[in-house]
Amino acid sequence: MAGLYIHIPFCKRKCAYCDFISFAGREDFLPYTAALITEMRLYAPLLKEKRFETVFIGGGTPSLLPAWLVKRILGEARECFSISDGAEITIECNPESVSEAKLSEYLSAGVNRLSIGMQSADNAVLAAIGRLHDREGFLSAFELAKKAGFTNINIDIMHGIQKQTCESYLDSLRLAASLGAAHISSYSLILEEHTPLYEAVSSGKAILPDEDETADMQDAGIELLESLGYHRYEISNFAKSGFECRHNINYWNNGDYLGLGAAAHSALHIRDKWVRFRNHETIEEYVKALGEGKLPLAETQEVEREDEMFECVMMGLRKLEGVSRAEFEARFGIDPVEQYAAAVSAATLDGMMEVTEERMKLTRRGLDFQNEVLLNFM
Amino acid sequence: MAYPRELIRNFCIIAHIDHGKSTLADRLMERTETVSSRDMADQLLDSMDIERERGITIKSTAVQMFYKHTDGKTYMLNLIDTPGHVDFTYEVSRALAACDGAVLIVDATQGIEAQTLANVYLAVDNGLEILPVINKIDLPSADPENAIREIEDIIGLPAEDAPQVSAKTGLNVEQVLERIVSDFPAPKGETDAPLRALIFDSYYDNYKGALSYVRIMDGSVRPGDRIRFMHTGNEFDVTEVGVFSPSLKPVKELSAGEVGYISASIKSVAETKVGDTITLAENPAGEPLHGYKQASPMVFCGIYPADGAEYENLRDALEKLILNDASISYEPETSQALGYGFRCGFLGLLHMEIAQERLEREFDLDLVTTAPSVIYRVILTDGSVVMIDNPANLPSPTEIERMEEPMCLSHIMTPPEYVGTIMELCQEKRGIFQDMVYLEQSRVKLTYQIPLNEIIFDFFDSLKSRSRGYASFDYEISDYVQSDLVKLDFLLNGDMCDALSTIVHRDKAYAKGRAVAEKLQEVIPRQQFEIPIQAAIGGKIIARETVRALRKDVLAKCYGGDITRKKKLLEKQKEGKKRMRQIGSVELPSEAFMSVLRIN
Repeated sequence: MAGLYIHIPFCKRKCAYCDFISFAGREDFLPYTAALITEMRLYAPLLKEKRFETVFIGGGTPSLLPAWLVKRILGEARECFSISDGAEITIECNPESVSEAKLSEYLSAGVNRLSIGMQSADNAVLAAIGRLHDREGFLSAFELAKKAGFTNINIDIMHGIQKQTCESYLDSLRLAASLGAAHISSYSLILEEHTPLYEAVSSGKAILPDEDETADMQDAGIELLESLGYHRYEISNFAKSGFECRHNINYWNNGDYLGLGAAAHSALHIRDKWVRFRNHETIEEYVKALGEGKLPLAETQEVEREDEMFECVMMGLRKLEGVSRAEFEARFGIDPVEQYAAAVSAATLDGMMEVTEERMKLTRRGLDFQNEVLLNFM
Repeated sequence: MAYPRELIRNFCIIAHIDHGKSTLADRLMERTETVSSRDMADQLLDSMDIERERGITIKSTAVQMFYKHTDGKTYMLNLIDTPGHVDFTYEVSRALAACDGAVLIVDATQGIEAQTLANVYLAVDNGLEILPVINKIDLPSADPENAIREIEDIIGLPAEDAPQVSAKTGLNVEQVLERIVSDFPAPKGETDAPLRALIFDSYYDNYKGALSYVRIMDGSVRPGDRIRFMHTGNEFDVTEVGVFSPSLKPVKELSAGEVGYISASIKSVAETKVGDTITLAENPAGEPLHGYKQASPMVFCGIYPADGAEYENLRDALEKLILNDASISYEPETSQALGYGFRCGFLGLLHMEIAQERLEREFDLDLVTTAPSVIYRVILTDGSVVMIDNPANLPSPTEIERMEEPMCLSHIMTPPEYVGTIMELCQEKRGIFQDMVYLEQSRVKLTYQIPLNEIIFDFFDSLKSRSRGYASFDYEISDYVQSDLVKLDFLLNGDMCDALSTIVHRDKAYAKGRAVAEKLQEVIPRQQFEIPIQAAIGGKIIARETVRALRKDVLAKCYGGDITRKKKLLEKQKEGKKRMRQIGSVELPSEAFMSVLRIN
């Protein structure tokens, strides 16, 4: 199976913590969509054999696009690629940019999963991190989505952000659960260099909860979500049974995916080689390359077998079920427990890892220290 | 054919850092067409990178120039460069002994500094004529009148007709050349007497071996002569003699009054000791030239490779470094915390820092350096005496009758407004007041006895910051005095870290222990368990800090676009881990050893 990712690099406003490639205040949606379509057509003959089980329209803020353009993009994707009937098709939205009409059109275009960026249900927190919506705005967006007929909805929630207390965070989780979200992504803020928030924190203008407070939030959040019927299936992801995000699971299985759009990354098996490549980061370079009929590639890299193995461990151990020994062996011809004997034994002795007949996976403690565990696998 | 002695002038330039010594030397070489300005590196005499960056000259070199004077005669001018820092007083004194005159540069915007004064006194002691030169008169803030007054008041030299120059623009540099000829005496010495050549520097050349840079006092020397180093007693056959033009240029003979080099296939500069006298084995001089001293290291520290596997490379690097600087001592030592390394001795703190930088830069090594130590004299209860340069080797307190530490006679010159704060600093550093003199209205000279162990930490930096850079400082080692010293140890998670141990005065042990523990708490990264940091004197805990346990070490988000970046982050983390030192169960970054040095 393979996943298809489509990047929409537009935002009404950039959030201070965000380091994704996205541009605020632009409305050149048409030339960008045209370029996306050209890119699909260029890849189509190459990927005839691939079967796509998931599509994910991410951003940026994809819900900024007029619905008919989303329809056009998905229609073209179906023309160019073999997308399964039961494919999971997700679009990311921000509460302030959805409407009833837009959501109905998404549905008719085949979108069957929504991912809404709530981040917090606390108005003080939302204002501090510079989001454009408030709690009420989110609630009405969620109502619209349900009314339109969406049943598979994810809510993104962050912790470790400005003005946030543990209680405020747990309250956001409770709200998401009470609304009946099928899936909750609950991230600890990653303070990235070159973001306005990083500057603000470095200069003392913004204050974040400290490491210990953030860790307390995370631990309390995991416990709460599990008590509310959401099982943790990845470090930061929780779902009701059967609603795990298939698109993301494909990343964690180190599966094939094609990324379209500016700054999108791809990883594909091409003629038995594991190849990673990524697109130009600016809209201008991206549109220009496609206008000239060229693939908009910024970098292409063939991944060595050893590195590919490590990627499978690095990504696979993010899942609570861990790495399937049989699948690893089918891909590489060796059992991972044998390949990484010393690291596995050290991690097991430290109480970080468990090995069963079928899988190797991290314990609760191992998940907290995944980086340290991985160092021994390098 | 010896150059007529009356047409030779041997001189040096004395100046404070940044007062324009190298620039003036460059101009002199340009004016005498020794080198053309086109192909001259900006500061030719300062050939090592580090020297240039720090604005100081570490190793002295020499250059021979020919100058056609207004009297129509052509003079041979030998400029001998001198190291410009307090750690190298002995080397400076030998370079001065090779000269008959000294050009004293005073910055017209700054006036005289302590270091300059110390060197002027050395020059006067060596019987040199002094020619004051006022530099930087092109700057708007120049006050040549004040500079002249300072020279006359402080040094007691007439300076009314001192050349006023701008070495930068070349203004009036000609006057300096004229005055070198007219003011400085021609060298004395007997060409027919037995050879006596004073070594004022040495240099290791990859092809020629250790070269002795010499001033011929008496006699002459040529290739084929068998020479004897009078202090070491070793004999060698001369393969080449030459002059500095400024690159090495072989000549047939060096004779009394001349400056040049002697090459004799010598394997190490340890054989060519600065201050030693070279004579001929066949017809030796009766007495060596006086003033020879064995330069001995005063400051010691442990030097370890950051990556233990680099030990052999560090040893090779030290061997090579010592080829060119025999004043560094080193011997292998082992630390529980740092593994295999070397205990190295240096003339002073700056000398130590320069050597570390050279090791890292020229030999591409990553080093961990322990806190510097002086040599303590420890009198044991059984009456025997041991000299301790590594705190880890200090016998247990029950075996120690008493301890002694080296003192320094320290001279500080400062504008009067900083006297209060500087006296406070000297008190803090256990200084004993000796004297305070107003050299003139705007300049005070303070004299203190200060333990060397206080000076080697951050005395100089503190002095500079307290006086906004205006105070200058010079010291000489005086005697050992009895002192109430204790060994301060640090324990990480209960395990002692020998590389962090220091010897301090009892009165300062508490404050220092607390400060270092706090600093360690900042620099030790959180680990999966809580780490207690304890400071202890003889088993008694005097300070405690805690590094809290790390709660999470995991990337919250990782999707398709993050994989490559995530791998790089992990590689970086792994690289960082490799540079960590394991103290019991605790991982300590090499920076920890450095950062504790910089504590008041």
